[in-house]
Amino acid sequence: MNNTLLDIRDLYVNAEGQEILKGLNLKINKGEVHIVMGPNGAGKSTLAHSILNNPTYEKENGEIIFEEEDITDSKTDEIARKGIFMSFQLPEEIPGVSVTNFLKYARNKMTGKPVRLMPFKEEIRGYMEQLDINPSNMERNLNVGFSGGEKKKNEILQMLVLNPKLAILDETDSGLDVDAIRTVSKGIQMYKNDENAVLIITHNAKILENLKVDYVHILVDGKIVKTGTEELAGQIEKEGYGKYKLE
Amino acid sequence: MMDKIRLNETPVRTSVKFGINDIVLDDFTVPEEITAFDSVTIKDRAGQVTTNERIKDTSLIYGVGEILEDQVNEQSNQNIKIVMDQKNQENVELVFDFQGKDHCLVDNIEILAEEGSKGTVILKYKSSKDNADLHEKDYHNGICRIKAKKKSDIRVIVINLLNEDSRNFISLESNVEESAKVDIITVDFGGRSSVSNYYVNLEKNNSEGNINSIYLGKEDQKIDINYMAHLYGEKTNIDIEVQGALKDRATKSFKGTLDFKTGAKKAKGNENEFCMLLSDKAKSKALPMLLCTEEDVEGNHSSASGKVDSKELFYLMTRGFSQKEAMKLIVKAKFSHIIERIEQEELREEILAEIDKRLD
Amino acid sequence: MKKTNVEEINRNIYDIKNEDKYEFKIRKGLTPDIIAEISNQKQEAEWMREFRLKALEVYNSLELPTWGPDLSELNMDEIATYVKPKSKLNSSWDDVPDDIKNTFESLGIPEAERKSLAGVGAQYDSEVVYHSIKEELVKQGVIYTDMETAVRDYPELVKPYFMKCVSVRDHKFVALHGAVWSGGSFVYVPKGVKVDIPLQSYFRLNSPEAGQFEHTLIIVDEGASLQFVEGCSAPKYNKVNLHAGCVELYVKDNAYLRYSTIENWSKNMLNLNTKRAIVGKNAQVDWVSGSFGSKISMLYPMSILNGEGAKTEFTGISFAGKGQNLDNGFKVVHNAPNTSSVIDGKSISKNGGTCTYRSLVRISENAKNSKCSVSCESLMLDSLSKSDTIPVNDIRTDDVEFSHEAKIGKISDKTIFYLMSRGLSEEDAKAMIVRGFAYPISKELPIEYAVEMNNLINLELEGAIG
Repeated sequence: MNNTLLDIRDLYVNAEGQEILKGLNLKINKGEVHIVMGPNGAGKSTLAHSILNNPTYEKENGEIIFEEEDITDSKTDEIARKGIFMSFQLPEEIPGVSVTNFLKYARNKMTGKPVRLMPFKEEIRGYMEQLDINPSNMERNLNVGFSGGEKKKNEILQMLVLNPKLAILDETDSGLDVDAIRTVSKGIQMYKNDENAVLIITHNAKILENLKVDYVHILVDGKIVKTGTEELAGQIEKEGYGKYKLE
Repeated sequence: MMDKIRLNETPVRTSVKFGINDIVLDDFTVPEEITAFDSVTIKDRAGQVTTNERIKDTSLIYGVGEILEDQVNEQSNQNIKIVMDQKNQENVELVFDFQGKDHCLVDNIEILAEEGSKGTVILKYKSSKDNADLHEKDYHNGICRIKAKKKSDIRVIVINLLNEDSRNFISLESNVEESAKVDIITVDFGGRSSVSNYYVNLEKNNSEGNINSIYLGKEDQKIDINYMAHLYGEKTNIDIEVQGALKDRATKSFKGTLDFKTGAKKAKGNENEFCMLLSDKAKSKALPMLLCTEEDVEGNHSSASGKVDSKELFYLMTRGFSQKEAMKLIVKAKFSHIIERIEQEELREEILAEIDKRLD
Repeated sequence: MKKTNVEEINRNIYDIKNEDKYEFKIRKGLTPDIIAEISNQKQEAEWMREFRLKALEVYNSLELPTWGPDLSELNMDEIATYVKPKSKLNSSWDDVPDDIKNTFESLGIPEAERKSLAGVGAQYDSEVVYHSIKEELVKQGVIYTDMETAVRDYPELVKPYFMKCVSVRDHKFVALHGAVWSGGSFVYVPKGVKVDIPLQSYFRLNSPEAGQFEHTLIIVDEGASLQFVEGCSAPKYNKVNLHAGCVELYVKDNAYLRYSTIENWSKNMLNLNTKRAIVGKNAQVDWVSGSFGSKISMLYPMSILNGEGAKTEFTGISFAGKGQNLDNGFKVVHNAPNTSSVIDGKSISKNGGTCTYRSLVRISENAKNSKCSVSCESLMLDSLSKSDTIPVNDIRTDDVEFSHEAKIGKISDKTIFYLMSRGLSEEDAKAMIVRGFAYPISKELPIEYAVEMNNLINLELEGAIG
């Protein structure tokens, strides 16, 4: 049986007329945790947005296969419903929509089944407790007035509630203090199992301290220039991206 | 008895009862006889400025008012054409000095910024004679048209330092071509009444027009400001910021209209207006309009009025400033980021000194 | 073919037309004779008859507004200003004629009354056909009745207030209202009485080429409180209908009034309505307003803060679709020290509709230490539509805190992408954002009306998005 979840082949992506990704290849199997690291402007966020087919990014070439299905040109909501989740670097604020109502609505869209409010609220409350989120946030408007840390934790909460097959975390750790990073790692551990996978996009290696990582990829100038194991991340932390940039 | 003239009409009317659709100056008639005005100092590089050549009478889209526009077309006593081209990156400064017999200026100015040019034009109007021995009150009625060709980047600084008995009327109009930018800075301190009108046409893609204004009103000064921007082109951009302070019985009407036309995709417009009220008799009116027929735009405006923050005042007074000095300092602080946009240090100093003088 | 029919009926319960049956319909037009005849039909007191005739003179002397939407299609010679329905005033739904009762049933009025209201008034064309109030409120001295009954039975309460808050000279259509007014509700809440459950009046205009001119007069006496809900609708006809109602609210010292409106007139209606409140010392009036219907609407509720410490809040939304020009907003005058106002105006334009937010904030010379904050936000759902913001801020003293913010634009692509990444289709994402946008208004409404408003939004969004 095919164990591959995501297979990106020779992907070229433009944003605002500029070529950002220049022939990127990446394969993720069930049960794996991947890290993509790279300097600012290397195309890390572009990679995440391209997988979810954000229309702002233009695909010039290549294909994205998810569970043996070509999703290169699928609509964002279809990709989400197939089981890919993305945690945003800058989550959007949605005034007038409470966290609970939003999650209930999204769960219903994902599963196609009605969601019973009371047990659902219990489920969310459980996750919130684990993620150290103030339970009163359930009734707050989604992301409106949330601090940076609250927004990121809320993304992890959404990941747990929607339980995707592949979770892409775009700079989920950036701008967080040590405690919050620990909470985010805890959320990832709660989510992770042998049937799903995680793709973490980050520019530093702090989040790796609490996670078991299978592959580390270095993304420079729109291409993955090196793939290794956890040690590679440590090496980058010491030496920076300098030697990969020179080429 | 002449009919009262209505000036500075808004492009879209609202209820007459709100008293802001136009301004009527009941103690003013347009002077019929225009005497000569000679005290004009021009600082430029030779050939950049031509005078005494009549500017062709293309009618203004808006302008302060028809009767004043006609006067400029028919009776102007200064006609000045300024050309900025790629070689001439220097600045042009025109100083109109109201002194002696020179009390009446009707000027018609055209600024042409050639493709790719960059530079600053300063228009300074000031009263030099002493208020006490005035027989004739100073009168200024002017038009300034700005044509910014492709990729030009032009800044026009209009400084009104007339005395508080004078009358000041000015109509500005800009046409901004593709990827060009027109920055207007106005300093509006003088005039028993000061009525200013500015229309900017952002017709072409990526054109940009910014306005930064400061005004100061004291005694019975009336300040009437009417800015209009039409955004037609894609990715056009306008930023308007108006900062002012009103003392005594001074009044101000600010009307600002951002009009996003269909097709102005990704256009952005911001309009911010703040008025500091330094007396309980001062009055501030504002009508910041947003008109929109294009979905894909971002338009914002904000406006605020109120008195000087008493905590700020107290803090400064504990540092030994008198109340008046503290007040001046706070006003200057509010104006500072606009004044700092003026690169000419001498001019900045002159403006700051005027603020001190007028708030005394 | 059949499918289309079904959809149309399902789409809009508001569009169910009854046969134009009436006991009396005045001939079209506007003359002293016609006014006198309306007065005769109503068998009203002489003072009111004279008042009407004077108002007509004022009407004839005033010009149309020189600003706002074009009203040239309105021809008063084509409008019947008084249509007396084939029903007397009843206090039991069982006595209301079937066709009229069914209309109100389908609008959910009797059901809402049973569930959540302290009293209901229902007007059909020019007269109120049903009025009721809970017995315990009557015992506390609360009066809730139709306006004609109030003029007849409580002249001492009506005469000092009737068209004193809104003068007939204010504008042409309020003069018209003074001349031909009919129906509406009168509420008096005595000193200190708190009415916790809302009262509701519903106005239905069924007759084609007719006008509705109801007068609502509410007096909340010192220390009393009241919530009042108003709903209105009409089926669509090809020719214009006119609504020129007038609402006068007197909120005495330390009193509280919340006045909520869901307006869903048909899209051939010219809604030229006038609403005003005079607010006493430490008293408060809150307005909640949802404006969905009408071809043209000019509606600017106004709070006059006359008492020291008086407060007002306005929360309003307009939703203009194809062929609609909704020129709405709010006016507030701060006339006393320590007064405060909070204004939140929103609009949505789609499918060629025009929304204008027009407002006045005036802080008078003696309104020391007053506060006002204004926020308005306009959403454009396409580039066929139009959205204007025309706010006047008139600050006449220094000791104030005044701030005003406005925004215009479309739903952000980033926000849509975010929601789509959570599995929502583009349509669902936009609908969710629009409902969230309207939430500050719907949360202020009683639950039934919030549901109604969300349904209206969903109806309006159908076909607009995608």
